[in-house]
Amino acid sequence: MRLTTAELVESREILPGQWLQSFHAPELASGSRAGQFVHVRPGDISGMVLRRPFSLNTTDAATGIVTIHFRVIGRGTDFFTRLRPGDTIDMLGPLGRPFEVDPRSQHLLLVAGGLGMAGVRMLADEALRDGRQVTLLFGAASAREVYPSNLLPDEVEYVVATDDGSLGHRGYVTELVRDYEAWADQAFACGPVGMLKVLAGQAAGRRERLGVAKLGRKRGAGKGDATGSPAARRKSFLQVSMEQNMGCAVGACLGCVVMAASGPPLRVCREGPVFAAEELDWESSWR
Amino acid sequence: MGELVAVNGAVDLRVDLGRGLVLPNPILVASGTFGYGIEYGDVVDVDRLGGICCKGTTLKPRIGNPTPRVTETPGGMLNSIGLQNPGVDAVIAKYSHTWATWRVPMIVNVAGESVEDYVEVARRLDGVPGVAAIELNISCPNVGAGGLQFAIDAGAAGEVTAAVRAATDLPLLVKLSPNVADIRPIAKAIEAAGADALTAINTLSGIAVGPGRTRPLLGNTYGGLSGPAVKPVALRVVFEASQAVGIPVIAIGGVTDLSDVLDFLAVGAVAVQVGTAIFADPTLPVRLVDELEAECGRRGLADYTSLIGTALPKRPGAPSVKGVEYRP
Repeated sequence: MRLTTAELVESREILPGQWLQSFHAPELASGSRAGQFVHVRPGDISGMVLRRPFSLNTTDAATGIVTIHFRVIGRGTDFFTRLRPGDTIDMLGPLGRPFEVDPRSQHLLLVAGGLGMAGVRMLADEALRDGRQVTLLFGAASAREVYPSNLLPDEVEYVVATDDGSLGHRGYVTELVRDYEAWADQAFACGPVGMLKVLAGQAAGRRERLGVAKLGRKRGAGKGDATGSPAARRKSFLQVSMEQNMGCAVGACLGCVVMAASGPPLRVCREGPVFAAEELDWESSWR
Repeated sequence: MGELVAVNGAVDLRVDLGRGLVLPNPILVASGTFGYGIEYGDVVDVDRLGGICCKGTTLKPRIGNPTPRVTETPGGMLNSIGLQNPGVDAVIAKYSHTWATWRVPMIVNVAGESVEDYVEVARRLDGVPGVAAIELNISCPNVGAGGLQFAIDAGAAGEVTAAVRAATDLPLLVKLSPNVADIRPIAKAIEAAGADALTAINTLSGIAVGPGRTRPLLGNTYGGLSGPAVKPVALRVVFEASQAVGIPVIAIGGVTDLSDVLDFLAVGAVAVQVGTAIFADPTLPVRLVDELEAECGRRGLADYTSLIGTALPKRPGAPSVKGVEYRP
């Protein structure tokens, strides 16, 4: 974690209200892992006292470029769209803990809902680089909000669901998961909490459905790894990237917590944003 | 503080709060914005700070309030963390060894639901290496007394201060709430009960409306407002409290640059705490130390004491009977 001055290289609206921005920030580009995020300070404009957290969408160590993908939802995100190439902003990062891929996993299932693409996008690059196969299931309200396939690596199998059926499967992206759960060695998801909750339920019943529950020392059956440790997460079938209103983003303010399955609430910025699905209390009434 | 002399010609920024607590400089970081001092890692050199007020600490672990817990507001933010913390024993076990290796004074912020809670936490902190002082957060409901906050009643504020005073030899700071009609009797009661210093202000109570306007935004409905938006309120409270008491007042409320620091000194504060602004700029507090030193140097000052109280009335005004807002 460090404070970095990032220079805007390119900025474009890839979908209505959704922007993809490239920044030159070599230290972030070479020192970050998929699932981590940056906390970005809007310019010194009256009224905005908080930074904005963004998942690192892609990083390229060779060029020193990192990208972020966001939807304009308020004054802060609107500010970023007004940046021009050459403008600099202040990024704190990389922050949080990354996705943990089991070295034995060959088939990775990525599931993204809407802006959740920003949370899992970088993992596709990492996985392909490591020689794994990637299927990315993506859900959106309609075709006009579907992430452009040309922004994904060619090697990714990209499957789309839309609520209105205007592109791909008509219905929720979670309905596609059953077709891939036997193929997938691990799954990684980011999106609305409702979507993640369904995925967590599916993941919890997966081993029974696939008849691997009694195979003994199978993935997830390991002992001795503390809950939340990288080793424990590596063994988890489903890892999720969570979102929450955030203050400091370094674990100091306890603003961005989510309810844990046991123990005190967990900080999205510090213990997360990536969690093993079984670490979280999916029945919590906390929003 | 007047008798402190410049060391080697440099500007003397030390703050003597009494009872052996001498802050290396008057720029502290406020409770709840700096965790336990370790979270910002290499981004902040904590030993350059004047003091660290750690996250609110209670007797038993607390899971805190439902989410969302924070939201930005114009010129500020609302928070309702709900004092999530692992409890005083865990705080001591986990952090005090690290604190003991630091030069920066660690001031443990203490919260409770009863006088007995506060007393027991203070007792457990007493004598712990690495703990330099206690800051009492009395903006908590007194569960045994109908949930009325200690901070809004001079009697309750004095009672809890006196009880903690009797339980520990640690320097004792008490944090004032701005959510009161008149701060002066409360400040005086806390002084009379043996506090070594006042800190002011805690957050202002507020709410935000959630998406769709179907409910309040914060999970706990109410949150505390902080940031530049509260600075005028903090200035007013410090202005009043510093005239009402003889003990030092440490200001908190919207400090984002050196002029804010100088403003608070002018209304009688001997030091300031930086809070919300840390989230946008973690390096700000250390920079303020440098800027204050440079400012004193520019003015040819050996220390900064002559900057304190310059905006206060030359003679204290007669107590108003019309309420603080209407005082001439």
